[in-house]
Amino acid sequence: MLSGLFSHSAAGAADFSHLEHASVEFRDVVKRYGDHEVLKGINLSISPGEVVAILGPSGSGKSTLIRLINQLETLSDGDILIDNKPTARLATAALRQLRSRVGFVFQQFNLYAHLTASQNITLALEHVHGWKPQPAQERALALLEKVGMLEKAHHFPAQLSGGQQQRVAIARALASSPQIILFDEPTSALDPEMIGEVLYVMKALAHSGITMIVVTHEMQFAREIADRIVFIDGGHILETAPPAQFFSQPSHPRAQRFLQKVLDPLHQEPL
Amino acid sequence: MPALDWQGVLTGQPLQWIVSGFLTTLWVTLAGVVLATLLALLFLLLRLSAGRFGHAVVSGWVSLFRNTPLLVQLLFWYFAAWNGLPLGFRDVVNADHAWSILPGDVWWFTPEFLCSAWGLGVFTSAFLIEEIESGLRSVPNGQRDAALAQGFSAWRLFRYILLPQGLANAWQPVVGQYLNLMKLSSLASGIGFAELTYQVRQIESYNAHALEAFTVGTALYLLTGVLMGMLLTRLGPRAGRTQHDCRI
Repeated sequence: MLSGLFSHSAAGAADFSHLEHASVEFRDVVKRYGDHEVLKGINLSISPGEVVAILGPSGSGKSTLIRLINQLETLSDGDILIDNKPTARLATAALRQLRSRVGFVFQQFNLYAHLTASQNITLALEHVHGWKPQPAQERALALLEKVGMLEKAHHFPAQLSGGQQQRVAIARALASSPQIILFDEPTSALDPEMIGEVLYVMKALAHSGITMIVVTHEMQFAREIADRIVFIDGGHILETAPPAQFFSQPSHPRAQRFLQKVLDPLHQEPL
Repeated sequence: MPALDWQGVLTGQPLQWIVSGFLTTLWVTLAGVVLATLLALLFLLLRLSAGRFGHAVVSGWVSLFRNTPLLVQLLFWYFAAWNGLPLGFRDVVNADHAWSILPGDVWWFTPEFLCSAWGLGVFTSAFLIEEIESGLRSVPNGQRDAALAQGFSAWRLFRYILLPQGLANAWQPVVGQYLNLMKLSSLASGIGFAELTYQVRQIESYNAHALEAFTVGTALYLLTGVLMGMLLTRLGPRAGRTQHDCRI
């Protein structure tokens, strides 16, 4: 049910200029905050339509990595190629256009608190993409239906549960038919029983043609949905592998320790 | 205590003065509120977008007009700044124009009205800037990130996401400033502006009904303030609508 709409949104809608190849390539990417180097020379290629899960301990630079893609953080060094085009020195207008083609889903949902669920979706359609109110509203309702939130279309974010807010946020990120969507720990702020509904929506989205880069702590999601696992710690990519291989035979000792702690927290080696 | 003679203020010439002064107060309040709001928004945008220079200009504006007495500011605009304007312009203002007459026979295109509205607007804008700014600051940063990630420009981010919420957060203090402006318009009597306080004093010197005249004047300010406060609170954007309203 969901995949029908999402494949359409990823490929269709000729009213936006499109990426030829929704690929993302990191070239020697460095990010510093003052003297503190968070990312120390990242090289990574992600193909169009690929689903990549980024794993790693807290503070390893995972979130920074994806926030660099649409420049919520600015690069310190290196470049990120999207659709094989460098993005490090984009002019303001070009950056806005790029951002409008890349969806972003936040850990804290970040819905606009003064707007209803459907207005959260129509706002950018009308004021960034120049849609008329009527088609924007129709698009919003269609997206909300697909994430199972149609009956809450006129509720404000504070009237929704965390899982419901995150589903609205995903619908909002999909409104502009992005070809790349980035998830920054989308389930980390949710109560355990609400994680499933969000993962279900994400699962339907995966392999619909849209490129998905997901920073997550959900090992089951990474194992079942991702095409590739990227393990990152201390600002370096330590391992890149298909999930089957990563979860059964991680090659880097740090990845082995990480998996042991995450998958079997009660039986880890003494420190 | 002398017996009160309300006939002495509520009939004939004194009544006309009171009505005229009251309407003048209402009109100059409206003009001052609009001007203060526009100036505040302009300076907030300047602060947001023009970097260090914009910051310095706005800080200078705020400290200058927040830290000097309003009466002094009004005297400055009327007796000093006004005379610095080109003579041709002043002549145009001083001439009679049919379009200068507002309902209630209040003339707005006069040196007194313009200086009063401008002085009140400038003074109040300095307070509004800081109050709306604090309202803007209380909008969570995550919403800025979300808007930037969606491709919003700085202006549209301000217009459609920050300002509606910032205004709603700051609305009660903003209403307080609008009420202050209404009451402070009485100081414009100091530059000969024929608003309510000026007219009430005129009755006092006309028939010495000081107590009655000032009582009526005070009651009108009180009534205006109460109604204005209720109206603005009702019409204004509501913060926390999301928290209290309609759990359906």
